[in-house]
Amino acid sequence: MKKISIYQIAAKNLLRKRTRSALTLVGIGLSAWVLASLLGFNRGYDSALKKDIDNMGFQVLLTAKGCPYEAATLMLKGGTGLRYMDETVVADILSQSEVESVTPMLMQAVFDPERGDSGAIDAYLGIDPATYPQMKSFLKFKQGGWFKDPDAHVAVLGYEAAELEQREVGDKLLIPDKNIELTVVGILERSGTQDDGTIFVPIRMLQKEFGQQGKLTAVGIKVERKADTAALENRLYELPDVQVVSMAQVKNTIMSLVATAKVMVLSIAVIAILISMLGVINTILMSVLERTQEIGIMKSMGAMPADVFRMIWTETIILCLLGGTLGLAMAFSLAKVTDLLIRRLLPYTPTGSLILISPGLMITTFTVVLGIGLISGVYPAWRAARVRPLESIRSEGD
Amino acid sequence: MRKRLVLVMLLAVAALPLLAAVGCELNDPDRDVKRLFPQSTGYRTIYASILGRGGAALLQRVEQRLGDRFKGLFETADVPYTLYHIFKGQETIGYIHGVNQKGRYGGIQAVLALDVDGRILAFYYQRLTNSSARLLRDPAFGAQFTGLNLRDFDAYDPASGHADPGGRIAAIRNPAPGAEDDFRATLRAVKKNLILCDEFLLGNKFLEREKSQ
Repeated sequence: MKKISIYQIAAKNLLRKRTRSALTLVGIGLSAWVLASLLGFNRGYDSALKKDIDNMGFQVLLTAKGCPYEAATLMLKGGTGLRYMDETVVADILSQSEVESVTPMLMQAVFDPERGDSGAIDAYLGIDPATYPQMKSFLKFKQGGWFKDPDAHVAVLGYEAAELEQREVGDKLLIPDKNIELTVVGILERSGTQDDGTIFVPIRMLQKEFGQQGKLTAVGIKVERKADTAALENRLYELPDVQVVSMAQVKNTIMSLVATAKVMVLSIAVIAILISMLGVINTILMSVLERTQEIGIMKSMGAMPADVFRMIWTETIILCLLGGTLGLAMAFSLAKVTDLLIRRLLPYTPTGSLILISPGLMITTFTVVLGIGLISGVYPAWRAARVRPLESIRSEGD
Repeated sequence: MRKRLVLVMLLAVAALPLLAAVGCELNDPDRDVKRLFPQSTGYRTIYASILGRGGAALLQRVEQRLGDRFKGLFETADVPYTLYHIFKGQETIGYIHGVNQKGRYGGIQAVLALDVDGRILAFYYQRLTNSSARLLRDPAFGAQFTGLNLRDFDAYDPASGHADPGGRIAAIRNPAPGAEDDFRATLRAVKKNLILCDEFLLGNKFLEREKSQ
């Protein structure tokens, strides 16, 4: 006589009500998907933000006081109201022991009345070719390369700036209002950062053409690997008329803003898990109630309460194993879609993948789903184990 | 079939961020549509690319009709074009379409408003960088394009800038002699724009005429 295992019985029981089992499976799968995506988002967002901040090339940015209003000034006054620092500040910064290197920058903007319907602002970032490319060594070129001469009338364009202006290496750019011609010497590859929309020009040329010799709008500071950044920031605050923007602070501010969104998503995940838990209990309990006589017969044939408990619990575990697998497969294959949806919802998202699904995260999700399944299965399995054979058989036909 | 449809939809969504090139959208569609078609009651936005509508074969046909190759980093077959289908009630009353064109000092965005027969109702620059931009943006310059259609551009060769001496294109005057590059770029942009409108909106009715000639 062929023996049948408890797992086979459990699987067969689930297959008897295919639609119900399938719906429960989808419910568990969706919960596992939400959970895995949320955990992946937690890791992915942090990692992408860190990468973005690292990609800035410097950990501390020194700007002239009043620069938080720079954007508004640029828009309203075409750069005439920008605040400047004296170039001598670079030597002061370099004298700090924690500083590995610095790069001076000058932002200038001009109003082009012929652009668009009511004119638009063109902004140019003057950079030092001796220091800036080293700090931004991750930037790759689609065409050409960095300029070497700080006085040359040349420009390097971020990918989007080049695309908008339809520029390539060798093409000309015109600084409106001043009628200064620049030659494009490099087009950057898309980096997904603010560099994509930037027009880089040599700093000395920009200072000269805009009458801002010896003036800067910002200094990027790269800190020694093991240096105390906080102590350096405190000392930089003592410099006159400057303000210090720490990238660590920027990261913390963004993270605290995103924390609200994360709590909301976590709440949704918890609700989804609770619903799927109720779904599992409902499915298994219904199955137990429908099979009361059958369980009674099994017990009358010698099955012990522990056997019945194990059989029902196994059904729950099978459902959760399959649902967990389905959810993880969805999380993995739809990570790009989830990424896209999150980007549309959040006001700021870093570049790079926002959903990072690692093997560790998959194991965690699987364990949680299995744990939920085990807990959900206890009550139906206990009810089944308590079925009294004679009463259940007698109730047939009621 | 259903499986394929789901797969195609998923791939389409997943592929959205891969669209690299930039199209030419109206700055303010609600306002611009009303300005170009005051009688309109609504519009529908259509996105199309040469790659999506016919791939290499379509690119070859468009280049052939244009009489010039697509050039450079940004004039590629995957550029998504934004076309505006204009309605008055249920009736189509025209189209608006803009294209990007490489100019001497920057990107030119040349926008056309067309009637249902593909005739130009209005032309204007949405973007233009040039020291003579004021002259080219003069409405009198744009008005020279009104009433033209793709047939008028048949004999115009954007590569050489040669136009039929007795034709309507040769009659278009450049108001900025110092901006000859951008003037020629504008004519190329208008011809390319009309070809793309014929391909994407008008069912190639001008192509049929070109073949029959």
